[in-house]
Amino acid sequence: MVNPLDAGDLRIEPVPMPAPGVVRLLWKGRSTARNPGEVLGPYFQEILGEAQKNQSTVEMHFVALQHFNSSTVAAIIRLIQNARTRAVPLVFVYDEGVKWQKLSFDAMRVFVKSDGLLQMRSI
Amino acid sequence: MVRRLLIDLPVRTEWASIEVIRTAVVNCLGVVFRDMDECHAIGTIISELLENAIKYGNWTREEDVLRLAVTGEPGHVTVVVEHPLDQGSEHARKLQEMLAALRRFPTAAAAYQARLADVAARPDGGGSGLGLARLAYEANCVLTAEFDGALVRLTGDVRP
Repeated sequence: MVNPLDAGDLRIEPVPMPAPGVVRLLWKGRSTARNPGEVLGPYFQEILGEAQKNQSTVEMHFVALQHFNSSTVAAIIRLIQNARTRAVPLVFVYDEGVKWQKLSFDAMRVFVKSDGLLQMRSI
Repeated sequence: MVRRLLIDLPVRTEWASIEVIRTAVVNCLGVVFRDMDECHAIGTIISELLENAIKYGNWTREEDVLRLAVTGEPGHVTVVVEHPLDQGSEHARKLQEMLAALRRFPTAAAAYQARLADVAARPDGGGSGLGLARLAYEANCVLTAEFDGALVRLTGDVRP
């Protein structure tokens, strides 16, 4: 079981036993730190390490996230790259009814490749 | 009666000020405009421009001020962030280069996706112009920079 992350106005909360082979993390609040990668980077590495060991898929649910800055976008790009390097499947779930989420995550489809390791799901 | 929004504030340069201002202005806009998505987009312009100002402004003189102005009327909102920046500095050159690069793409979406790919290709990912490209794309914002002595005035024009 992975730990939650509390960093300023941001909380990333694991869902206990969501489904076999799935690590589900809920993003809540706002990610506005000056260097969010300093906190998110090591946390993501821990998640990816666990997922790689257990051959799990990591699901990041952004639906309850209110706002993130572009430095957080950069940290998420690093997550995508590191997940791909470790061959850990990654799923992003966002709310297409919220304009900023739809635009932000639609643009990140540029990182979706035929290897199927990154999936974008809208609700 | 003409419906008009006018906000003009000096902002302290502590990082924590940014989220306080963004949230306050979004709440303010929420009682003026009906579309919360657009209010959020304007809030994002405010926070990204203030972040850039605090990160890259020339804050060596205590008397220099970070200033935020938001003006709005039905169909048009303008966000202006003014801060000290030497026109001959490396960051001023990069800023002008980034704004020019945005205009070279056929769409704001193409410019933003190119910046995302650029961040992926850079080991540090910093100073990539991702924030500016994001504003043009997500907030449908036209960005311009105007230098006045040792100050730069960054303007984001939005027509929701």
